[in-house]
Amino acid sequence: MIFQIALVVFAVYAVFKTWKDYTARKVSKYWLVAVSFFWLVVAGVAITPQTTDIIAAEVGVGRGADLLVYIGIVVLFYIVHRLLLKQQQVSEEITELVRQIAIHRVDKP
Amino acid sequence: MRIVTVIPAYNEETRIGAAVADALTYTQAVVVVDDCSRDRSGAVARAAGATVLRHAINRGQGAALQTATDYAILHLHPDVIVHFDADGQMQGCDIEALITPILLGQADIVLGSRFLGQVALNMPRARRLVLRAGVLFNYSVSGIWLTDSQNGFRALSRQAAQDIRITLDRMAHASEILDLIKVKSLRYQEQPVTIRYSQDTLKKSPSTWRALVIAKDLLKKKFVR
Repeated sequence: MIFQIALVVFAVYAVFKTWKDYTARKVSKYWLVAVSFFWLVVAGVAITPQTTDIIAAEVGVGRGADLLVYIGIVVLFYIVHRLLLKQQQVSEEITELVRQIAIHRVDKP
Repeated sequence: MRIVTVIPAYNEETRIGAAVADALTYTQAVVVVDDCSRDRSGAVARAAGATVLRHAINRGQGAALQTATDYAILHLHPDVIVHFDADGQMQGCDIEALITPILLGQADIVLGSRFLGQVALNMPRARRLVLRAGVLFNYSVSGIWLTDSQNGFRALSRQAAQDIRITLDRMAHASEILDLIKVKSLRYQEQPVTIRYSQDTLKKSPSTWRALVIAKDLLKKKFVR
């Protein structure tokens, strides 16, 4: 029960924080909708965990909790992959910037 | 013929002056890229007669080599570019042997080898083993068989220097160059060069760690990009 309450409280906090970011024009309305939807689903699953059992049975996984763990692992792997690509791209851009600055500030003999 | 030597440097103030002077004896210009050293490497290189560029952030040996190459091609119009180290391990007197096949039109890129002809001086056994393993690793990755795949002493024709664009910023650029030789169908040769190891230079880059970083960067490029 404590875990469920904690998850719902955190979901409310996450939606509130995203709303604040939206009003401060830090994120778009699409991001606000997507994040709110995600945390609503999380809160829904926390309140009625048996709903995931129905979906799990439909897709051939024994328990709803197992389905959530599997989905979580796949999503985390994908996010790490995207972050790695982004980090590589940013690193290449920094190198190019550093290079151009060095070439323009040459110290000739 | 205009020969330009490019030297990446990081914290080499005690050795780079001699390296620049040595390279200038055999080439018309020396470009040093000070890769955000914490010491006076740039100033010492400048005093020794090099053109000095400074990276505002440390980006690695591969990135520094590419910066020097870009500058040389843009502003110095070289016929041949020589890659040289700042730590005094390489000998300027080997430059002539490296550039000759390019000047004769027999090769686009000439790679120095510590294992052809004269043996590398004071090379520790562990480093020798790691370098031998590197030959096998590089052959399996790039398909090019060399006696010394991690030697940074090399000469490139202007066209080869333009064809080979180093994107691996850190130490794996030597392996990336081999990859690009294959991809761009460049004509290559190996020439024996003398590398003198000292306790000082050996301390700076432990061979086993260096080999692991190179393998990691190379595999990352193969699989992630």
